[in-house]
Amino acid sequence: MGCRHLEEVYELFLLGALSEQGSLDLRDHLARGCPRCLVRIREATESVYLLSLFSKPARPNRRVKAELLRRLHKK
Amino acid sequence: MNEELPAKELLARVGRHDLAALSELYDRLAPRVFGLITHILAFRDEAEEILQEVFLRLWRESKSLDHESISVAAWLIVTSREAALERLRTQHSSRLRPDTPREGGTDGNPRSAKPLVAAPFSSRAASKPPDPRTRAGRLGPVGPAIAKATVRIPPAWLPRPGEIELIGERLDLLHKTIEQLSKSQRQALELAVFGGLSEEEIAAELGEPLGKVRTGLRAAVTFVKHRRRAILGTWAADI
Repeated sequence: MGCRHLEEVYELFLLGALSEQGSLDLRDHLARGCPRCLVRIREATESVYLLSLFSKPARPNRRVKAELLRRLHKK
Repeated sequence: MNEELPAKELLARVGRHDLAALSELYDRLAPRVFGLITHILAFRDEAEEILQEVFLRLWRESKSLDHESISVAAWLIVTSREAALERLRTQHSSRLRPDTPREGGTDGNPRSAKPLVAAPFSSRAASKPPDPRTRAGRLGPVGPAIAKATVRIPPAWLPRPGEIELIGERLDLLHKTIEQLSKSQRQALELAVFGGLSEEEIAAELGEPLGKVRTGLRAAVTFVKHRRRAILGTWAADI
């Protein structure tokens, strides 16, 4: 199966925006180990990471960190 | 703790269950991670819960993460998005059941609900809090259906530390890129990134034909993709 047609959907797949059938097709293709698509999907992950950064940083309450460390200390 | 210690070294230490290293990573990265989570979830206490869950997961899984080939910042961001969208999906499912709890703030009072889904792509410039009477304002706590499961991005697909190390200094280029998109493209992208919606769901949410939304969204993603190298600082170009 050729994969040039997948060029514009890697990011949408990772974002979960692709249709169910489109996602299944891409998963199926990736599962066959297509080297070109594996490179592209890694690049697409960079884009998803970038897009996710388009949110303003927000400082959590200090209590959250204290609670987290307390929970980890108990483990 | 040495402030200059690279994040990958901290990740390696977290893998050896070094609590001080986790504390340092938290201080550096939690505001960015929490910003993303509160962009997706409307309730601050739920967002804090997810933040804790994500760092607990990092603690558990860090041993298996190759600190040389995986950026811990990317791992945290991608994992947080998945976890927050999963929570959003759970909220939606529970709303479909009768006697659904939780319509308001931490005290259950709708008036005290404090939506934090601020500054989406479509209104970042205005930086106004969302209006709960609008669709966009409702996206967090009472957003549209997200029927499918979140795509889990495996660590092997994540950027390497060196590939994204300059991003902190270049976020203005990302904003500049997003601002060059049309309003409808930004809205569609916002719903995909922070709402976890599919193309079909976005079309329904915006009341636009699927073909138009699909074309616009794909063009927007392609636009961002082509500017990725410049934004990440690995390719010199104007945006």
